[in-house]
Amino acid sequence: MRVTYNWLKQYMDLSDVTPERLAEEMTRSGLEVEGVQPMASASDLVIGYVKECIDHPDSDHLHVCQVDDGTTVRQIVCGAPNVRAGIKVIVALPGCKLPGGEIKSGVIRGQKSDGMICALFELGVDKKQLTEEQLSGIEILPDDAEVGNRKVLEYLNLDDVIYDVGLTPNRADCLAMWSLAKEVGATLNKEVRLPDYSYECETVPATLKLASETDKCPLFEGKIVNHVVIKPSPKWLQDALHAAGVKAINNVVDISNYVMLETGQPLHFYDLAKIPLREITVKTGLDEIYTALDGIEYKIQPEDIMITTGGKAIGIAGVMGGDDSKIDEDTKGIIIEAATFNNVSIRNTSRRLDLNTEAAVHFQKGIDPKGGHKAVERSVQLLIELAEASGIEETVLCGTNDFRETEIIASVNRINALLGTKFSYEQICSTFERLDFQPRKVSDDEIATVIPSYRTDIKVWQDLAEEVIRILGYDNIVSTLPLMPTVQGGLSELGRKKRVVQNIMNGAGLSEVISYSLVSRAKIDEGIMNCDDPVEIANPLSEERRYYRTSLLPSMLETAAFNVARSNEEYGLFELANVYGNDNDVEELHLSMIMSEKTTDSRWNGVADRNDFYKLKGIVLALLDKLGYDEKRVSFTVSEQTNEMLHPNKSADIAVDGKFIGKIGVIHPTCRRKYDLDDNVMGELNLSALFAAKPAKVRFTSVARYPAVSYDLAMIVSEDVTAEQIVKVIKKAGGKLLKETEIFDVYRGANIPDGQKSVAVKVVYQSAEKTLSEDDIMPHHTEIISQLRKALGATLRDS
Amino acid sequence: MNRDWESMRKEYLARISECKELNSLEQLRIELLGKKGSVNALMQEMKNLAVEEKKAFGMAVNNLKQGLEKSFAEKLEQLKKAQLEAQLAKDRIDITLPATSYRHGTLHPLTVIRQEIEDIFVAMGYSVVEGPEVEYDVYNFEKANIPHDHPARDMQDTFYVDVRRLLRTQTTAIQMRVLEAQGNKLPIKVICPGKVYRRDDDDATHSHQFTQIEVLVVGEGITLADLKGTLELLARSMFGPERQVRLRQSYFPFTEPSQEVDVSCHVCGGKGCPVCKGTGWIEILGSGMVHPNVLEEAGIDSTKYSGFALGLGVERVAMLKYGIDDIRILYSNNIGFLRNYKRFE
Repeated sequence: MRVTYNWLKQYMDLSDVTPERLAEEMTRSGLEVEGVQPMASASDLVIGYVKECIDHPDSDHLHVCQVDDGTTVRQIVCGAPNVRAGIKVIVALPGCKLPGGEIKSGVIRGQKSDGMICALFELGVDKKQLTEEQLSGIEILPDDAEVGNRKVLEYLNLDDVIYDVGLTPNRADCLAMWSLAKEVGATLNKEVRLPDYSYECETVPATLKLASETDKCPLFEGKIVNHVVIKPSPKWLQDALHAAGVKAINNVVDISNYVMLETGQPLHFYDLAKIPLREITVKTGLDEIYTALDGIEYKIQPEDIMITTGGKAIGIAGVMGGDDSKIDEDTKGIIIEAATFNNVSIRNTSRRLDLNTEAAVHFQKGIDPKGGHKAVERSVQLLIELAEASGIEETVLCGTNDFRETEIIASVNRINALLGTKFSYEQICSTFERLDFQPRKVSDDEIATVIPSYRTDIKVWQDLAEEVIRILGYDNIVSTLPLMPTVQGGLSELGRKKRVVQNIMNGAGLSEVISYSLVSRAKIDEGIMNCDDPVEIANPLSEERRYYRTSLLPSMLETAAFNVARSNEEYGLFELANVYGNDNDVEELHLSMIMSEKTTDSRWNGVADRNDFYKLKGIVLALLDKLGYDEKRVSFTVSEQTNEMLHPNKSADIAVDGKFIGKIGVIHPTCRRKYDLDDNVMGELNLSALFAAKPAKVRFTSVARYPAVSYDLAMIVSEDVTAEQIVKVIKKAGGKLLKETEIFDVYRGANIPDGQKSVAVKVVYQSAEKTLSEDDIMPHHTEIISQLRKALGATLRDS
Repeated sequence: MNRDWESMRKEYLARISECKELNSLEQLRIELLGKKGSVNALMQEMKNLAVEEKKAFGMAVNNLKQGLEKSFAEKLEQLKKAQLEAQLAKDRIDITLPATSYRHGTLHPLTVIRQEIEDIFVAMGYSVVEGPEVEYDVYNFEKANIPHDHPARDMQDTFYVDVRRLLRTQTTAIQMRVLEAQGNKLPIKVICPGKVYRRDDDDATHSHQFTQIEVLVVGEGITLADLKGTLELLARSMFGPERQVRLRQSYFPFTEPSQEVDVSCHVCGGKGCPVCKGTGWIEILGSGMVHPNVLEEAGIDSTKYSGFALGLGVERVAMLKYGIDDIRILYSNNIGFLRNYKRFE
């Protein structure tokens, strides 16, 4: 909200508080000043009198003026359309610093110009506060302005500082200037003098009939003022509204706005002549198109609270009044409305209609339960003073005002125990005094407080502890660390495993990415590891971010494409993130990985190293091994289901103990084209599924004492025979002495018939009991060869 | 028979020393010391000598032989050394050519900060607890003292899934789960990191997805002073031992009293600079004493126990610490950017 230094100054003595310090103090005690801005900023101004004004000989819009500044007459070239002889104006003298720059003497199209005649916006006044007329020309001052006066900003009431205060939801009371003044007074420990709003005037019996047919309007205070005189507001009121960012209209409308600013209570004034029945009923249940004060038609629904007379709507309660009963220059009498409306209902209506008026904001944030009475009385006082009000009727009350101030007992010991402080009874008591909490001694430890009506945020003694520390200052706290029984801390099991995954990925050269969880439908459909149907956001910001992703690779492909488009063509990336299913129980931790085919762009020695399926397979095996699942438990099989992300014949389903945990493979040509990538290799693992398998424990195994003997086998087999099949046959036939089987060469081409390949395998024999002789090994070796022939049709090559 | 042994020796030694290659040295050795070599020829001569001459002659030949053998050995060593040196010289490589790249992967800067903060608290006996991102309203708001019509809901625009579910807007939701699960097992000392979501349009300072870390302590006699001490410890661990902490009054529905926490600027040390907008202070955290309603909701006797909570945005810390000026960069995953965060700090 907007508040100015001068406005606060009228309630308390700020002579020893600079605008900067005021901002700092407010911020520290809870009214965060988010911006400080001078209302206007200009040096070296003077009020001048335009003695003569002629058209510039070499221009069709400039004027050459002779301006009396009180000491001398200076020539100024001015381009404003409204400049003329005989007016008083604001003159910026040479050397004057304005927001737009410094003013210098100069020559404009051959004519000497010794200063500038100013418009208000040129002094830095917010354009939103100015009229069309003020924006299109220079400011013309009243005839009684004193020529030669150099305190121009002061004269214009612009020597002020605007604070932009970010109110926290609990301090909506500070939307009211009087509450804000009390708050600032308490912070600065200053006495606050609020205006006395009593008035002396005979009231006449009420003729207004009020009714409420809804529980969404618990209280409605109404009052008829039979005679008012509409005219412009005095300068002080216009300036005050201006300072608060409200446009001045006429005295009566300005009073309603001004009193809302002061008390926080929204008011509405109706033109009495337009409500001849002198009857107002608050209703819900209307379903119609309604034209409000702003001339726009709104669709009213049954749940909206409406103000009606004679069954006809005259206002959207708490949001905006109607066009046909508004105050205009012909208004002779008024009805004052000060009501309390249900904040949730007002919020819904104002949101739906996109009508966030000042009144609606006040109602939504909560108003002072006693605000209505204050506001009506203050309005009447000002109407008498500024609008010649008479025929003032008694206030009519609809509903009950049974508000009682809350009484809370504060214990000095408990407050100190919560804060970790040693404040004395007197310090705490005086804090409550500063806040008008009417402290009363109950015992040596206990203080009874009475909470003012506007402080609806204070409910329990801990709230009072907060008041104490924020007013006395957080600097009074001497830091300590918690003293408590020792408890075992640490990462969770899952947290530790995540770090292992991150380490292995880093070691394999893959960098971590974090991408957005929300994706489009297309990205969901693209996924090949979807955990479930996706969670759909009911109120998304865009179609691009409508679903919580159910798998990670689609985001990863986007990341890769983003980088390739920026010439980052060599990469290895991984992401570790949760995915969710629409079924509440589905939460899975997934890991996605991608590597460009190209690995490095600066190999001067001609050694090409490219990422391929086997590289990623190796990384996955290393990861699984580290996590406790050794190679023997892992299988890579050709996927039964094909997709357009992975190449059907260069990809695999991965299982641990026979349970599916993920996929890896080379990018599908279609996908490769779509994202404009090279032959990337990528994969996604469901780590939650993996962690369901029991990891192996580390156990001691003795180091072999007798040497191993190795033999090479070279065979020619059909292309369909897989490495896995070969290894399986060898392992089965090799017996207990077989320790290791390693395929070390696969060859196709010269000397090998088409459709066949040569495979070379190293088999290693070892015994824990003795050094093996050829006689020990040969039977097994012969069996292996015979089985390879029999089972796989292998032709053994001479070795 | 008189011979000039000395000149013979000199001549042979000179020939040895003139050898420049291993081959010629070996040939000379055969010529002089081989079976049919000069020295053996002298031995043959000895047979024809008279007995009285034999002794002196034999001694002279032996002397010559030993002298030559020693000289050959030395020369051989010398030539081998020279040959090795020549080979090494030939082997010379250009060590200024580029390295074969060995690239260790990097952690995302948000992970780096998150792990750093987790480790600070784990070292003090805190447990790290995570929770679901698709969360129930009851944990995200209601148990955190934010009922349906509470104005604080306006502070956080929420992505809703349906009437009961939403994307969590704050890791406070994890705290509420911890309180529910552990309300009867005090004390509680936890740190709750995770992704959160707000319905904000992405710009330089806003992101619809970001990362929070919250800390919760509940026990007997926990005070605001304990909270301040913990905040100082955190600020100093993250931004340097010189940092000061300043608490400002604020409001969170689940804490009372509540504060915004400023840390003295780590760039200028508090003198004022563009990073701290000239104030010398940077707002980094929110904190407060756990609201009695929240404790009671979890079945904890608020007259006996108290607690504090603090929370921070990991993106904000990363941006301040590394001087990142646009939050979207953190989610762009540009490799050039990611590879900056490779060093141990």
